Amino acid sequence: MKQLLVSPSPHVHGKENTRNLMRDVIIALLPAVAVSIYYFGLSAIILLVAGIASCILVEYLIQRFCFKGKSTIGDCSAIVTGILLALNLPPASPWWIIVIGSIVAIGVAKMTFGGLGQNIFNPALVGRVFLLVSFPVIMTDWTAPASFFGASLDASTGATPLALVKEALANGQTVSQIFADNPSLSYSQLLFARVGSAGEISAIALLIGFVYLLARRVIKPHITLSIWATVFVFSGILWLCNPDQFTDPIFNLLTGGMLLGSIFMATDYVTSPMTTKGMVIFGVGIGVITILIREFGSYPEGISFAILIMNAVVPLINMYVKPKRFAKEAK
Amino acid sequence: MAIESSLRNMVIVLFAVCLVASAALGGIYTLTKEPIEAAQVAKTNSAIAAVVPEFDNNPSDSANVREIDVDGAVSKVYVAKKGEEVVGYAIESSTSKGFSGNITIMVGFAPDGTIVNTSVISHAETPGLGAKIANPEDPFIVQFAGKNPGNPDFKLAVKKDGGSVDAITASTITSRAFCDAVTTAYKVFCKINESGEAQEQL
Amino acid sequence: MSKFGLITKGIIKENPTFALVLGMCPTIATTTSAINGLGMGLATTFVLILSNMLIAAVAPVIPAKIKIPSYIVIIASLVTVLQFVMQAYVPDLYATLGIFIPLIVVNCIILGRAEAFACKHSVLDSAMDGIGIGLGFSLSLTVIGFVRELLGGLSIFGNRIAEGDGMLAFVLAPGGFLVLGYLMVLFRKVTKQ
Repeated sequence: MKQLLVSPSPHVHGKENTRNLMRDVIIALLPAVAVSIYYFGLSAIILLVAGIASCILVEYLIQRFCFKGKSTIGDCSAIVTGILLALNLPPASPWWIIVIGSIVAIGVAKMTFGGLGQNIFNPALVGRVFLLVSFPVIMTDWTAPASFFGASLDASTGATPLALVKEALANGQTVSQIFADNPSLSYSQLLFARVGSAGEISAIALLIGFVYLLARRVIKPHITLSIWATVFVFSGILWLCNPDQFTDPIFNLLTGGMLLGSIFMATDYVTSPMTTKGMVIFGVGIGVITILIREFGSYPEGISFAILIMNAVVPLINMYVKPKRFAKEAK
Repeated sequence: MAIESSLRNMVIVLFAVCLVASAALGGIYTLTKEPIEAAQVAKTNSAIAAVVPEFDNNPSDSANVREIDVDGAVSKVYVAKKGEEVVGYAIESSTSKGFSGNITIMVGFAPDGTIVNTSVISHAETPGLGAKIANPEDPFIVQFAGKNPGNPDFKLAVKKDGGSVDAITASTITSRAFCDAVTTAYKVFCKINESGEAQEQL
Repeated sequence: MSKFGLITKGIIKENPTFALVLGMCPTIATTTSAINGLGMGLATTFVLILSNMLIAAVAPVIPAKIKIPSYIVIIASLVTVLQFVMQAYVPDLYATLGIFIPLIVVNCIILGRAEAFACKHSVLDSAMDGIGIGLGFSLSLTVIGFVRELLGGLSIFGNRIAEGDGMLAFVLAPGGFLVLGYLMVLFRKVTKQ
């Protein structure tokens, strides 16, 4: 048997480490954070601060007292979880709800499995879904974006575009009627500011973050793009079959947590497949499940459930979609 | 230890086991038949008592039960009397429009059509949301008492649909279904009134 | 093993829920409150004790090849008896536990104890085993129900301790799995298994 040889130094030292990667993700999230602070002012800041602080605290306490190991909060992953969780909640949520969400996200979804790198499910999404199931009243109480600082104190509430459409469809209206009745569903509104969770209101801000992540080579585009393509094609087929019952593909891409989820949550290293082929399968699965839930399920939005379901399938994908072994002959 | 698994042995043993088991079941069934019926009557009566004024007859006695067909669905009507006077009708109606599964409710009407009270008999709504309909003190349930659906000021539909009923927060579908069931019950009531049965009873 | 040992064994070392991990379907489904968990536990205990005793008594005359069918007939009859009795005398509990009563028939604990214990031991020992395992099951279900009720409905044994809604996820199945998992961790840590 041939020995594995290590060439003599100097070795090339990659400058990527968890901390740097997480820093890039945080930078990519900044446009969305800025937009949410711009529209929701103090309530968005409270959510962000409470989310980040409680995520760090929970991770520190568990690491210190349950694992009795070295603190891992320096890798900044708890900060990313905190920000994502805050961006995923309705802007008017009380501060304690994000503390509960952080305990579930970090405590249940991450540390129970052994910390960063071991978790099966995306922590921020587990936190969000737990809150959605636990506090459905608070979690569907959306404040309409009311342009400037402080204005959120007496901001009006509204339904998210997806909820609005679902509700009206249930009442027997057709899609074209709904769009004619609600000017808030126009594309310009959807692109810049619409009713929704703190981080999903502006599609542009999220797309800027996506471009940054790609430019810095933090993520590969495969997962995100295959989710978009699947959503576009699948909802497009439904829309062509019956435009009165189903919304058009562009609307589906711009609404709900589609962008936030497909750019920042589905691409989480730990909980997504390792190979590019696996990533495409993963993305297609998320796209299909999301549209199934949106169009036929009882919840108006399904991407968080879709990502979590596909998270569970990742080990299976990794097992069957392996990269070709090095030096194995091509057939 | 165990005896041999020959065909004869197996047939005999299984036969014996089944014989004893079915005999025991038959015995217990006869013993508990009456208490089970009594428990069911008590349950129906207490559901009726919760929605109509005080009565002294046995409304679930077959002489006081009517089955009325409205829009293809059969609803049971229990007539509550005090002495000879009819004090109310308890109408059991159900709807399939709930968030999950059927909702069956009992609606009590005074002879003039005013809703005395409503109560939920069975449902499968989400705990903490739609399941609030099962709490007789929930403001959603309380708002129906004393309203007359025949009154033009009271429209039996949730406010979102242009009616006068305050829906349960975040449970519009359940609230809508509940209104639907109450509407069915009211239709049943109207049918009894039209057919003159109500007058006859008076 | 002493008679007392047979009982405690069912509660700690062979706790059906936390140590043997048997009967998970009724565990998750009925533990939405402490009372429901206790009711389900006691109903199962009742069936378990009687089935253990009956099976221990008849085991010697049952040919090996028809062991399982005979046991199932015995257990199913007992469950149906229980169903009649509950319907007649505790209709409220019957209404809450509903479809889970007939499911006691296929609860692995009962057939498991019949196969693993009752058919090889005396009637008295089997009764003790039934009491022990049954108590262990009831206790576990009550504890799980207690935690879920407290977190999900903010009440203790049906008495509200605070206004408002709890964390609904705990009343639903996902929360049931979470509570079960963490209690299992705690149980193993305490009993050092």
